[in-house]
Amino acid sequence: MTTATINLKGLVFLVADANPYFSRIIVGLLRSFGATAVTEVRNSFDAIQLLNSQKFDILLCDDRLPPHGGLQVTHAIRRKRDNENRTIPILIMSGDTRESMVKIARDAGANMVLVKPVSASSLYDRLAWIAFTPRQFVDTPTYFGPDRRFKNDPYPGVGRRRTDRHAGTGGEAAHAAQTLQADTPNPGHGTGSENPALMDQS
Amino acid sequence: MPNPPADDPHTFFVETNFQRLARRAGGVPREQALENARITLETIKVGFRDWLESEIADLAAAIRRGRTGQPADVAWAETALLHCRQIRDVGTTMGFQLVTFIAGNLCEMLDNVIAGAVPRNEMIDCHIDALYLARQEQYRHLSPEQLPELSGGLRRVLEVAHAGSPAKASGSKMAPGGEEQT
Repeated sequence: MTTATINLKGLVFLVADANPYFSRIIVGLLRSFGATAVTEVRNSFDAIQLLNSQKFDILLCDDRLPPHGGLQVTHAIRRKRDNENRTIPILIMSGDTRESMVKIARDAGANMVLVKPVSASSLYDRLAWIAFTPRQFVDTPTYFGPDRRFKNDPYPGVGRRRTDRHAGTGGEAAHAAQTLQADTPNPGHGTGSENPALMDQS
Repeated sequence: MPNPPADDPHTFFVETNFQRLARRAGGVPREQALENARITLETIKVGFRDWLESEIADLAAAIRRGRTGQPADVAWAETALLHCRQIRDVGTTMGFQLVTFIAGNLCEMLDNVIAGAVPRNEMIDCHIDALYLARQEQYRHLSPEQLPELSGGLRRVLEVAHAGSPAKASGSKMAPGGEEQT
């Protein structure tokens, strides 16, 4: 089993979730992994305002972040050409495990979906995966974000995910996250939905 | 950034600051990070029981309000769903798998109500009672699989609720940790 070590010191995290208790868990986990700079917001207005005004290295965002939702935040950040955070990794955190939700997140430009409730190992492994697995970006009139066609590589440190799932505890399996994977024939076909109220903020 | 032709996806490589810095030497190895996390979660768990008690009370209060208001007004269900999701999203991480399971079930039922389904009071009450049960110490470390009668019964209740739902979104659920391609 390979073990990838990530160094989060000095990296600037933005955690966007309305639930203070959940947010506390995420921040605690990130600090346990060595993160030193974590900012929290509780709504999409504050998230967009911060993402438009200061540099972050990664965004962890609830899919139902009120009032617009995390996918609209993702879409807004990816579409704004002059936003210095346009290409940052975005993890959507969601309790909705439906396949359709993952597709929508992918088409909004998210890098990954992290299923709630989260476990420490799933969060660490997904951060390591983002750090060590380069992905191209795609820019078209209807989509801007990570290439939705990418190799089905295992996460660093966990060997094969399916193997890991069977070998792990039940709780661990329930925590496992989903990557946004696609056999999309045309990576430029996004959903294109947007919220004007959100897009107007700058 | 060059303008690509409309139907010609333009791809380019980006090494983000996150990738560049996260790969530096000197990070926290996975095993150490997970041990640190375990200790951190233990400290966060200290206040969990009080928080859970308060969230269940707020959830139950929202449901009670729904029974005294106009049937078409689903604001109560939206409030209830907010509390229910909050419970679901942290239960397992705090060591209460059963709480997450029950709250997840109830979230689906409340989603149905918001989508137009008629609230089934007895089914909702059944879940609230189950939440009060699952928060107790003796159920804390039990998974739904260890209580097949309870979990199976709640699953069947949810199926019945779905059967009566007019606008349940379709879509297969991914297995936890699954690799289903989108």
